[in-house]
Amino acid sequence: MLTNMKSLRLLAGIVGCTVALTGCDRMLEFEPGDVILAEDAINTADDLQRMLNSNYDVLANLLNGRQQSIAELLTDNMARPYSSLDYTAVWNRETNFFTPTTGGLYTDFYYAIYRANVVVESFDLVEGLDDATRLRLEAESRFVRAVCHWYLVKMWAYPYGYTGDNGHLGVPLRTDAVAPPSPRATVAEVYAQIIEDLEFAKANLPNENGPFASSMAASGFLAHIHFLRQDWSSSRAEAERVINSGLFQLDSDLDRYEAGSDSVLAGDLINPETVFGIIGGYFAVEGDSLLNDRSYAFRDNFRQDNNINPQLTFSDDIYDLFQLNSADDRGDWIESNGVTHKVTRFDDKQFFNVPVVHLTGLHLLRAMALVESGGDLQTAIGDINAIRDRAFGADLNDLDPASNAAAVLAAAREEYRKETLCEGWELDQMKLRGVMGEPETVRDAPWDCPGSLLQFPNSSTTAAGFILNDEGGCL
Amino acid sequence: MNRILTCLLALAGILASSGMYSQTLTGIVSDENGMPMPGATIVANGGARGISTDMDGRYSLDLGAGQHTVDYSFVGYVKVTREVTLAAGQTKTLNIRLETDAVLMDDVVVIGYGVQRKKEVTGSIAQIDSKQITAVRTPSFEAALQGQAAGVQVSQSSGVAGAGSLIRVRGVASVSAAGDPLYVVDGIPITQNYFLRGNSGAMNNNPLATINPNDIESVEILKDAAATGIYGSRGANGVILITTKRGKSGTSYEFSSSAGFSNPASLPNMLNTEQYLTLRQEAWENDGGTGYVWLPGFTSAGDSPESRKAAFEQAMLTNTDWVNETIGTGVKHNYSFGARKGGDKYNVYAGVSYDDNGSYLIGNSYERVSGRLNADFEPVEWAKIMVSSSLSQGINNRIDAAWSGGLGDAMSNALPYYPVYRTDTLFNADGTIQSLPGDYYLYQDEWGGTKNAVAVRESKTWITTENRSINNASLVLNPMDNLFIKGSGGFDYMHVREDIYNPPSIFLTSDLGNANRYANYVLNWNYSLTADYKMDLTEFSSLGLLVGSEFQRTDSYGYGIGFGDVTGPIFENDSLLEVANGQTTVNNPSQHSFLSYFGRANYTLKDRYFFQATARVDGSSRFGRNYRYGFFPSLSAGWVISDEPWFESGTLSFLKARTSWGKTGNAALPDYARFGTYSAPDNGILYNGQPILFPLQPANPNLRWETSRTVDASIEIGLWNDRVTTELAYYNKSSQDVIMNVSTPPSTGFTNRWDNVATILNRGVELSIKSRNMVGEFQWTTELNFARNYNELQSIGDYTPDAVSGGTNDSRVITGSPVGSFYLMMFSHVDAETGLPVYLDRAGNETFDYDNSERQYVGDGLPDFVGGMTNTFRWKNWDLRALATFSYGAKIFDSSSKRQLGVVTSWNMRTEILDRWRQPGDEATFPRLTLDETTYGLPSGFPWWNTSLFVFDASYLRLRNLTLGYTIPQIGEGKHAIRNMRVNASVTNLFTITSFPGLDPEVVRDFENAQDRNMSPNVTYLTPPQERAFTLGINLSF
Repeated sequence: MLTNMKSLRLLAGIVGCTVALTGCDRMLEFEPGDVILAEDAINTADDLQRMLNSNYDVLANLLNGRQQSIAELLTDNMARPYSSLDYTAVWNRETNFFTPTTGGLYTDFYYAIYRANVVVESFDLVEGLDDATRLRLEAESRFVRAVCHWYLVKMWAYPYGYTGDNGHLGVPLRTDAVAPPSPRATVAEVYAQIIEDLEFAKANLPNENGPFASSMAASGFLAHIHFLRQDWSSSRAEAERVINSGLFQLDSDLDRYEAGSDSVLAGDLINPETVFGIIGGYFAVEGDSLLNDRSYAFRDNFRQDNNINPQLTFSDDIYDLFQLNSADDRGDWIESNGVTHKVTRFDDKQFFNVPVVHLTGLHLLRAMALVESGGDLQTAIGDINAIRDRAFGADLNDLDPASNAAAVLAAAREEYRKETLCEGWELDQMKLRGVMGEPETVRDAPWDCPGSLLQFPNSSTTAAGFILNDEGGCL
Repeated sequence: MNRILTCLLALAGILASSGMYSQTLTGIVSDENGMPMPGATIVANGGARGISTDMDGRYSLDLGAGQHTVDYSFVGYVKVTREVTLAAGQTKTLNIRLETDAVLMDDVVVIGYGVQRKKEVTGSIAQIDSKQITAVRTPSFEAALQGQAAGVQVSQSSGVAGAGSLIRVRGVASVSAAGDPLYVVDGIPITQNYFLRGNSGAMNNNPLATINPNDIESVEILKDAAATGIYGSRGANGVILITTKRGKSGTSYEFSSSAGFSNPASLPNMLNTEQYLTLRQEAWENDGGTGYVWLPGFTSAGDSPESRKAAFEQAMLTNTDWVNETIGTGVKHNYSFGARKGGDKYNVYAGVSYDDNGSYLIGNSYERVSGRLNADFEPVEWAKIMVSSSLSQGINNRIDAAWSGGLGDAMSNALPYYPVYRTDTLFNADGTIQSLPGDYYLYQDEWGGTKNAVAVRESKTWITTENRSINNASLVLNPMDNLFIKGSGGFDYMHVREDIYNPPSIFLTSDLGNANRYANYVLNWNYSLTADYKMDLTEFSSLGLLVGSEFQRTDSYGYGIGFGDVTGPIFENDSLLEVANGQTTVNNPSQHSFLSYFGRANYTLKDRYFFQATARVDGSSRFGRNYRYGFFPSLSAGWVISDEPWFESGTLSFLKARTSWGKTGNAALPDYARFGTYSAPDNGILYNGQPILFPLQPANPNLRWETSRTVDASIEIGLWNDRVTTELAYYNKSSQDVIMNVSTPPSTGFTNRWDNVATILNRGVELSIKSRNMVGEFQWTTELNFARNYNELQSIGDYTPDAVSGGTNDSRVITGSPVGSFYLMMFSHVDAETGLPVYLDRAGNETFDYDNSERQYVGDGLPDFVGGMTNTFRWKNWDLRALATFSYGAKIFDSSSKRQLGVVTSWNMRTEILDRWRQPGDEATFPRLTLDETTYGLPSGFPWWNTSLFVFDASYLRLRNLTLGYTIPQIGEGKHAIRNMRVNASVTNLFTITSFPGLDPEVVRDFENAQDRNMSPNVTYLTPPQERAFTLGINLSF
C-alpha cells in the first residue's frame, strides 16, 4: 500500500493531467452562426455602403405610409378609423406609452439614426477609403439622420416656435452610436443639428442620386424645415433651388403614385416631380415575384377597391371641401356614400413608389413663403395656378392675378391640403398655424392639446429621468 | 448411581433449555410500506452476533424457552425491540415493520460527485426517496416533490397533460437568466429548456416529462452553498440530484400499475345567455343606449333598433355551455415493470413503463413509453464499469388551451348565445351556400380569428413527440486503498417534434388545409474525471479529498417546415414525410459549453467535528474573455454535539449544528447574449436592388456571472430517542450582478441589452419536523415542513420598473419589492354615487383617472411561507397517507378577470360581475356596467382594465393526496412467491381551502421565456385549473 504522501502525489499528478487534458480555452469559444460579429462587420467600403443602404431600408419602412398615416390621423383630414385600436388612439389623440404602432414608428426612426451614426463613426475601420467616398457616405448618412430627427421632433414634440427660445423639450438627439441613453434635447438643439446635417448633405452630395439622398433632396427638406421655422426667405430659397434646377417637372397628371407592374425593375418608376421618395417595389426579372414591397402601409390602410372596410377614410371636412367645386378632378380621390368617404387614390395599385418631397409641395410651399414674407405675389399665384391647371384643366379655375395676399395664402393652403392628402404634410401646416397664433382646432380640441403629441414608447422610460409627454385633454 | 442420575437430570435440563424441545421465533421484517427487507439484523438478548433476514425478509431464530429481548435493526431504520416469551417447543411468528430513521446518521446521501454519510454532511440537503416520489401520481415526477422538503417551493402547473411544475429552491435569485434549479441525473446535468417551442398553444414544453418516476431511487435537493458549491456556477438556484435505481444482489422484480380518472379541481362560473344579455343590456342603457343592445357576432351599434331587437330575441333561443363542451373526464393508466439482478461482479437494473395520462380537457393526453438499463460490472477488484441508459418517448396529444383556445375560449370569446352547430343555412355574398344546418357555427373573435372550440378541437391535429435518451458510462478505478478515480461520459439527447394540421373547415380559406412541423434537437455531452481519496490522519481524524474536472457542451438546433393545400398532417402523408425527413435546412445551432475544475476537502475530527471546503472554477462560453471564468468557493462545518462525552440528556437524543458560507453562480442566459452582431451577408434583404447590412444586437463584452453569496446555519435535533426529529435552518443569500435583459430606450438604436444590473436578497428560515406520534400496532407519523422566504429586489441600477417585464403579465422590476411584483393601477373602490371606479395614485389620493404613469406595486406572487404536512397511519396491513400542502401570503393576478369582470365586451363574463353597481347608493364590488371603456378612464379601444381589483390573496391549504393502501406481505412460497403486494386507492386535490375567487390558487401559466418564468409566478390568464384525480393502483414485488 502506498503511503499517504505517495497517494497525495498521485492525486496531484491526476489533477495536473486533468488540467492539461481539458485546459483548452478554445473549448469555450462558440460564435453565433448566420450573423456577423460586430467587430467583423465593417471592413470595406462595400460594408459601409451596405450599412448605408440599410438606412434607406429603414426609411422606406417608415415612409411607406406608416408615418404618413399617423400624421394624417392627427389632422382634420381623416374620419375615425374603421377598427384599428392603435389608429383610433392616434385619431383620438390619446396615445400612451403602450400604443405599439406609434412606439414602433418611434423606434424605427432611431434604428435609422443609429445606423447612420455607425457609418459616420466607422470610416477608420476601412483601410484605403478614398475621401470622395467617405464624404458621400457621411453626407448621405447625415441626411438620413437629419430627416429622421425631423420626423421625430415634429410628431413627439411641440413645434418650433412654440416657445420663444425653443427651449421646450424635443426628442433625444443622437449624433453618436454609444450605448448610454439620451434625455430629450430641446427643440432648438434638435433643429440646429438637423439643419447642420442637411446643409452638410446639400454641400457634399450630387444634385441627383436616384432614389437616394441628393443635394436637391436636402434642399427640399430644408425648404419644409425652414418653413416651419418661419424662416420664409430660407424656405423660399431652398424651394426655388429645387424648382429652378430643371431636374424635376410637375407631373402632367394628378397621380404621383404610379402603379407598378411586373415590368418595373429596380430604380424604375421615379415620378418626374419626386425630389426624394422611396422605392415601393420592383422585379429583379420581368414577370418574376415582387421584391421590396414597401408601399403596403398606404395600400393596406387606404385601398377600398379590394376592401369593404378600409381602415382609413376621409373626414366629412375633406369631403365637404371637394363638394365646393365639382370640377376639381382630385374629387375623384373620394368614393363616398354620403356617410363614409373612402380613398380611391391607391385603388388598383399593388405597389408603387412613394414621393416624399415633391415639386408640387415645393411650389405651394414657395407660394406660401412668398406671401408670408411679403414677397412676389405673382410668382406665388403662378405656383398655385400651375397646380390648379392640372386639377381643373388649364385656366379653368386660375387664381386671379389681382388677388391679395390673404387670398393667395388661402388658395395656397387649400391646394397644399388637397395635393398632400394622405401624405401627412397637413399636420405641419396645422401646427404652424397654431404657432402663428391663428385659431386652430382639430375636432373641437385645441391644436396643442396634450394628446396632440404622440406619446413616447414605454421603453423610453426604462432609463430613469426621461420625461414623457402629457396625455389626454383632446376629447 | 446418584452421580449418574444427577448427570442425566442435568443433561435433560440442558437439553430442554437448549432446544431439545425446539422453540423458534420466525417472521418477516418489512419496511414501512410492507416491502420485505433482506439483510435486516435480528439479535436476541443483546448477543454479539445476530442473524440476517433472507431475500424475502424472512428470519428464523432458535431460542430457549422463556423470555427474550429481541432487537431488529437495519441501517437507516429505527431499531425495534420486542420482548418475547416462548414456551417450550413453541414456534412463534412475529412480523416486524421498521420505520425510516429520520436522523439516519449512518445512511448515505448523494452529494455532488459522490456520497457522504448523513452525519458528516455540512450542507443543506433534502433527501426524498423513491417511495415518496411514486406515492403521489403526478403528470411529471418533479411535481411529486411538492410538500416534501422545506424550502423547496413546487407549484404544479395547469390541468393540461404533460405540463411541468415551477420549482424554486429558497426563492428566486434571477431575473432574466433561468431561475430553475440545476437537474442532474446520475451525474449528468441534463437539458432543461422549457422554451424550445416558446409558449405555443399556451404551453411550455416540459423537459422533465419523459423521466419515469418509477426509475428513480432517490432525489437529493441541494440548497445551500456548501451543498451546491461543488456545482459552482450552476448552483445558485439549487441543485436537484436524481439517482436512478441500480441492481442489487439476488434477483427481484417489481411491477406496478394504476388506473384512474380525473376531472377539473374547479369549474369556471361563466354567465348563461340570459345573464349575459341582461348585463349587456344594462351596460348599453347605462351608456345612454336605447332599445335593444347590439350583440357581437349578430349586430353592430349602428344597426337599426328593429335589427337589434330581432338579434336579441334570436340570441335568447340559444344557451351553450361552452365550458361543458370542452371538458370531460380524463382517463389514465400506467404500467411499470422493473427487474434487478446482482452477483459478485455485476448487478443490473432494467425497467420499462407505459403511462397514458388523459387530462380532463377533451382530446388532450400525454403518453410516455420509457425503458432504462443500469448495469455495473466489476471484472477485477480495482475496476468497475457503470452504465446508465434511458430511452423514452413522450407523445402529447395537444389541444389549444388558455389564450390559444379550447377551455380558454369557453372562458372568454365563446358567448353563450353562439351555438356549437348551425341551425340555419348560411349563404355567401354571391348566393352560394357557405354552410348548412349541422355544420359548425363559426364566429370571429376580436382579432378576427375564426373560432369554435369544438370545431377546432375536432378538426385540428396537433401532436408533440419527444424522444429522449439520457446515457452515462463510467469507469471507476481503485488503484490503491481509498483512492478512487472515476471517468465519466454522458450524452443527453432530446428531439422534440411538433406536428400541426389545420384543416380548411376552421378557416374557410380553401378546400385543403395546411400542415406544419417544428423540430428541435438538443444534444448535450458531458465528460468528467474525478479522483477521490480518503486517509486517516490520526486515530481521531481523517481527511477526504476530491478533485475533478468537467466539460459540458450543448448544441441546440431545429427547423420548421410547412405545406399548404394538403389533406392531413405531415406524418400521415408519405410524400410530405419524405420531404420533412430530408429537411436539411436547419437553423444554425446554438451552442454553449462549460469547462470546470473543482475540488472538495472534508476533514473529520473525532467523528463529531466536520469541516468541508469546496472550490470550483467554471468557465463558460457564454461569457467573453474579460469574465469567462468564475471562482466559487464554499466553507462549512458541522458539530454533532450529542456525541460529546459531556453531553447528557434524557430528552435530547441527537443534536447537531452546522453552518456554511459560499459563493455560487448562474450562467443560464442565451448562448450568444454577449455578442454584438450584424446581419448575415446573405440576409436576402435588398433595398432598390442593393444589399444591406444592419446591426442586430449590442455587444456586452463585460457580461459576467451572476453570483450569490449564501450564509446558512442550522440545528438538527432528535428528541426521545429520535421519536421526534427536527431541523431548523436559516439562510441569507445575496445575489449580485444579476443579469437583466434590459429594455433600452430606442434612441440607443436597440430595444434590449443584456447586462449585469440587479441585486436580489433571499433570506429565510426552514423548519422540518418528523414525529412518530403513535408507535406499536397502530402507528401515526407526522412529517411537517415549513419555509419562510423573504425576497427583495434591492437594486436595479439606474433603470425604472419598466426596464424588465414579465411578458404580458404586468409584472415588473421594482426596487424594494420582490421579483415578480405586479405593477398596476391601484383600485380603491366603486363610487357609491356614480358607480365609477375610484383609483389611488402613487401619493394615495383618490382619483377617477386611470393613468398608466401612476402604476405602482400592488402585490406579488411570492408566498410568505409554504409547506407541506404528511400524516401516515398504519394499522396491521392497512395504511393511510394524507399529504396537505399550503401556501400563505402570495397574491394572484387573475389577468383574465380584467376582461371577464370589467368592461362588457365580446367576452363572456363570470357570475361575480352580478355584484355590480346599479343605482346611486349601491355598495358594490364592481362598477357600473358599460360597453365603453372610457367610462372607467381607459383609452378608447382598450378594454384591458389592469388594476389591483384583480389581485387576490392566493393563500391555500390543499389536500394534495390521500392514499389508502393494503399490503399483503407474502403470497405463495418458493421461487414464484409474491413477496409483497400492495393495493391502493388515492385521490389528488380532493379539496382546497382558499379565499381566491378564481379557478385555482396554485397556478403556473405558460411563459414566454425564462424572464417571464421568473417574474410572473401566480399570474393566471384563462389557465386551466389542476385536475382532481382518482386512482386505483397495485404494486407487486416478487
